[in-house]
Amino acid sequence: MSTFILPVGPQHPALKEPTSFRFMVDGETVVDADLRLGYNHRGIEKGCEERTYIQDLYLLERVCGICSNVHMTVFAQGVEKLMGIEPPKRGLFIRCLMGELERVHSHLLWLGVAGHEVGFDTFFMYTWRDREIVEDILEMISGNRVNYGMQTFGGVRRDLDEMQIKKALDGIAALKARTPYYLNIGASEPTLVARIAGVGVLPKAKALELNAAGPTTRASGVDFDVRKDDPYAGFGEHIPFNIVTDEGGDVLARVVVRAKELMESYNICEYILKNLPAGDIRVKAPRKVPEGEVVSRAEAQRGECIHYIRSNGTDKPDRVKVRAPTLANWPATLYMLRGGYVADIPIVMAAIDPCLSCTDRMAIITDPKGNEKVWNWETLRQYGIDFYRKRGIKL
Amino acid sequence: MSLRLGAMLPEVLKHLFKKPATVQYPFEKIGVPKGFRGRPVMDPNLCIGCQMCVKDCPSEALEIHKESEATDEAGKVSKKFSMTFYLDRCSHCAQCAEICPKKAIHMNSEFEDAAFDRGALKIVYK
Repeated sequence: MSTFILPVGPQHPALKEPTSFRFMVDGETVVDADLRLGYNHRGIEKGCEERTYIQDLYLLERVCGICSNVHMTVFAQGVEKLMGIEPPKRGLFIRCLMGELERVHSHLLWLGVAGHEVGFDTFFMYTWRDREIVEDILEMISGNRVNYGMQTFGGVRRDLDEMQIKKALDGIAALKARTPYYLNIGASEPTLVARIAGVGVLPKAKALELNAAGPTTRASGVDFDVRKDDPYAGFGEHIPFNIVTDEGGDVLARVVVRAKELMESYNICEYILKNLPAGDIRVKAPRKVPEGEVVSRAEAQRGECIHYIRSNGTDKPDRVKVRAPTLANWPATLYMLRGGYVADIPIVMAAIDPCLSCTDRMAIITDPKGNEKVWNWETLRQYGIDFYRKRGIKL
Repeated sequence: MSLRLGAMLPEVLKHLFKKPATVQYPFEKIGVPKGFRGRPVMDPNLCIGCQMCVKDCPSEALEIHKESEATDEAGKVSKKFSMTFYLDRCSHCAQCAEICPKKAIHMNSEFEDAAFDRGALKIVYK
């Protein structure tokens, strides 16, 4: 058998962000796949150590554009645990509401992207048009369409008034009426079904073995969801919802799981908006955080998002570590790609809803002569500035 | 569920007779909601120079400078402060407006902030 190595990336027209894939192909079949991360490292974790907790909140929000609220939530609830403060119930409910609205916008965005990747652009146009409804709700509540900046230590930053609740309920009702149509199309349009059924199969045993996360693992029949298994924010208090799973394990199953999760999220949003407890939205938080360490997690739309925070008693953290859900999904993706066709690569990769820069890590290449250097923030920054200056880019 | 070809066709045909979902920006604009986080605007008459906004700004986009100091006949010292704001660094998080103890900063509803010259993005409130 003769194989050929097909390199995709670090810069490639099919990739939205830089990363490097090596596909061993035999004709049209992918025999093996390998991945190298590290082309889009932004030094956010290191940056957190140089900034105060309040500043970190906004820096970590920018780990990802799509799951901005989740990173803020995870960091805020971790630091709250270190501070020993408990946000009021109304604040926690609004925290959950933001998370679910974000899930709705992300899943609608993903449905469109999935349609686009398989050449079904009509689907993409309609889902993205309807996504505007939830974007408008998010903008109305938080004042911004992408980085909502709603979470803070001790609760949330903005309250909801009656008018906003009414408008949000109207918007969600419109989306709730619309989403079954997409589920219907996803499962009944023969060209779409033929393109995605049986593609990128991940069996349940493999999903567990490779530690896949979020809708990817739920589409393989694993009923894991942080909201249920380790309830956070308001989820511990009786917000009713079901975990959506599917036994298919292929791309079609991932479309179905996400479309059904949308329906669950609408129900959660409606429940929260109709049963919003009265009272304050936040408590006062101290500026300095007592010494300690904490692991905080939440269910992002792509899977489990984990932050590790270690404090040293000052107003700046000692260490912040971010595990974005896409990092957990990479081993499973490489497994799914093996044995498939080259033409299936884009949709299999898109099916995990990857976010490359969120998951990027610094790669340390060990020098056998032992000439390793430890860099602090200033030298790292200066290196970056000099790097571009040397190439004639004015800064 | 039965498969049928062109399942989306009726929807597409229906939309031939509907208004477009988009507007002709920049000729036509849709407004921003009430709590929109545009650019921060500072009222120098209210500022007490506590520097809380400067300390909390995640993108180091603010500077507060003392402009003048005057002592009146009763011995009361009154200070005036100015704020230099770099719009090109601002991330529009509104933390400055939130932390200000005198509510001297508020976010306006401007969203067309692009400029050809970086200097035009430096705004001084005094």
